[in-house]
Amino acid sequence: SEENYLIETFRAQLRDDPDVASAVAAIRALLGFLKQDRGETIQGLRSSLRDAIDTLSRVDSSVAVSSGGELFLRFISLTSLEYSDYSKCKEIMIERGEIFLAKVSLSRNKIAKLCHPFIRDGARILTHAYSRVVLRVLEAAVESKKRFSVYVTESQPDEAGQKMAKALRKLNIPVTVILDAAVGYIMEKVDLVLVGAEGVVESGGIINKIGTNQIAVCAKAQNKPFYVVAESFKFVRLFPLNQQDVPDRFKYKADTLKTGQNLTEEHPWIDYTSPSLITLLFTDLGVLTPSAVSDELIKLYL
Amino acid sequence: MGRRGAGSGSAAAMPGAAERGSELSEQIEAFAARLRRGGERPRSEDTARQTLSLLRKIVGNGRWSRAGELMDLIRTEGQRMTAAQPSETTVGNMVRRVLKVIREEYGRLHGRSEESDQQESLHKLLTSGGLSEDFRTPYPSLRANVIEAINEMLIELEGTTDNIAMQALEHIHSNEVIMTIGYSRTVEAFLKEAARKRKFQVIVAECAPFCQGHEMAVRLSKENIETTVMSDAAIFAVMSRVNKVIIGTKTILANGALIAVSGTHTLALAAKHHSTPLIVCAPMFKLSPQFPNEEDSFHKFVSPQEVLPFTEGEILAKINVHCPVFDYVPPELITLFISNIGGNAPSYIYRLMSELYHPDDYEL
Repeated sequence: SEENYLIETFRAQLRDDPDVASAVAAIRALLGFLKQDRGETIQGLRSSLRDAIDTLSRVDSSVAVSSGGELFLRFISLTSLEYSDYSKCKEIMIERGEIFLAKVSLSRNKIAKLCHPFIRDGARILTHAYSRVVLRVLEAAVESKKRFSVYVTESQPDEAGQKMAKALRKLNIPVTVILDAAVGYIMEKVDLVLVGAEGVVESGGIINKIGTNQIAVCAKAQNKPFYVVAESFKFVRLFPLNQQDVPDRFKYKADTLKTGQNLTEEHPWIDYTSPSLITLLFTDLGVLTPSAVSDELIKLYL
Repeated sequence: MGRRGAGSGSAAAMPGAAERGSELSEQIEAFAARLRRGGERPRSEDTARQTLSLLRKIVGNGRWSRAGELMDLIRTEGQRMTAAQPSETTVGNMVRRVLKVIREEYGRLHGRSEESDQQESLHKLLTSGGLSEDFRTPYPSLRANVIEAINEMLIELEGTTDNIAMQALEHIHSNEVIMTIGYSRTVEAFLKEAARKRKFQVIVAECAPFCQGHEMAVRLSKENIETTVMSDAAIFAVMSRVNKVIIGTKTILANGALIAVSGTHTLALAAKHHSTPLIVCAPMFKLSPQFPNEEDSFHKFVSPQEVLPFTEGEILAKINVHCPVFDYVPPELITLFISNIGGNAPSYIYRLMSELYHPDDYEL
């Protein structure tokens, strides 16, 4: 059925290219879905796209897929406002969708170019879990002949930090894996903290792997700069005021949510870091202070 | 002078233009050399004015026919001038302003709406159809339009100090104790304007080793403002009695931080500790789109003679002496920026920047 085809396309994307961001894979799958959609009206298209996005969230419940889906829906609305004839509209949508995907594939390089000057020679960097954007930034810093060392948190429960350490060793960067509990201990030794983000919320805060908030609080206490690198398609229309405000569907894996058991026994996979703890965000839209993020979102959604 | 006679018009025009071109090039070289030499503290407003005049000459007399060529020309000359003295950020700022003006004028002539030439935004990412501008179409009226716009900027430059001083009465109240550091002409005008209607006291930190604070104190006391000069070491001790701190700055960075005269960071930390508001008076042409990063190109070191005179011959061989001119003040320590366009919080600086400069010009 169409649903299974969509899920298969999505999974195939992630399998074939482990480097691709899950939001981009989702958008690509949705674009494919759009191409073979048989509807005749914009309303019909929007409702079938909403169902498609729900389907994808049931496969991968991360914030990134949700933000990618929202963005795609917004993209459809904006295009449909300009053209009233449906078939012309669909043609333009497909064309613009391809251009958009081409642009976002360059976003990691743009971010790396903006961010690597902030890594001084001899710097000691602390990072958290496994982030492909951070990896790309560090790669760019190595290419510009800087010498630095990295501390990575182990990041339980899936030991994502070990994966990051392996990738960094391949780049010949001296790396030390530390316990999640050792962040407060190591903070006095590091010069800056660099993390990725699964989602960037309206207030300028971020949603990222569990443990990020702790690192941010320690960094603030010791006056170390806390930098976040994220592509612009990760901006979501959420405004959590505290940890409880982050919706449950992001906190737990899709499989756990499906079983419908009592979530109080489950450990959340993500946490929310407030904007007051973040120094700067590096995105493909430029270097932003946390207050500039909401401006960007307003420009898009209003 | 030049061969005027029968022949194609362009041949007759060439020698005259070439002479003007070399004269212009000489002027730019002289300007760059003056910047490189440093010497007396140049007033930022004067540097800005000289840069704009030079840029206006380049637009007027330079050899270009399309907007793209003009922008490349300005960019090259701009790189030459900023490389001469990186700590004089006003030069780079003016170059970027002119580049933005050229883009706008080109856009207007090209018939595009204002909105579409905005910087990268999510919106633009989703709705744009294709490639960006190439600035290739020649427009004869572009030259005049750009020169007109630069003239407007020069007029705006004249009025910046007055615009800032006009806001003084809102911020300074009677019987207040104001603290400042060093000598800033903008702060001087600000305080003088307030003194016309209010009675207040000023404490000036002398700002060693150049002690410009002394000059500031002399000028303020001429206007019958009760002034006290004290050493930099006493800043923290006196801070508990101060109501407001008002300072000037050399540069405002893109994250809302300051590059100001050496000693300002100490003052800012003392003010933060006592929860005293720190107000920065600076015109918009000092806003630079650079972030404080590895380059650290804003630092300037001058002769250490001021710190430890050469007469101390013997110990000089055994120690290192530095005399940095500037300090970095992080944005969390600043309460308010007062500029010629009004008062703004440091977190709003990104917005002001997007209005003044185009993101493609952040890197000259």
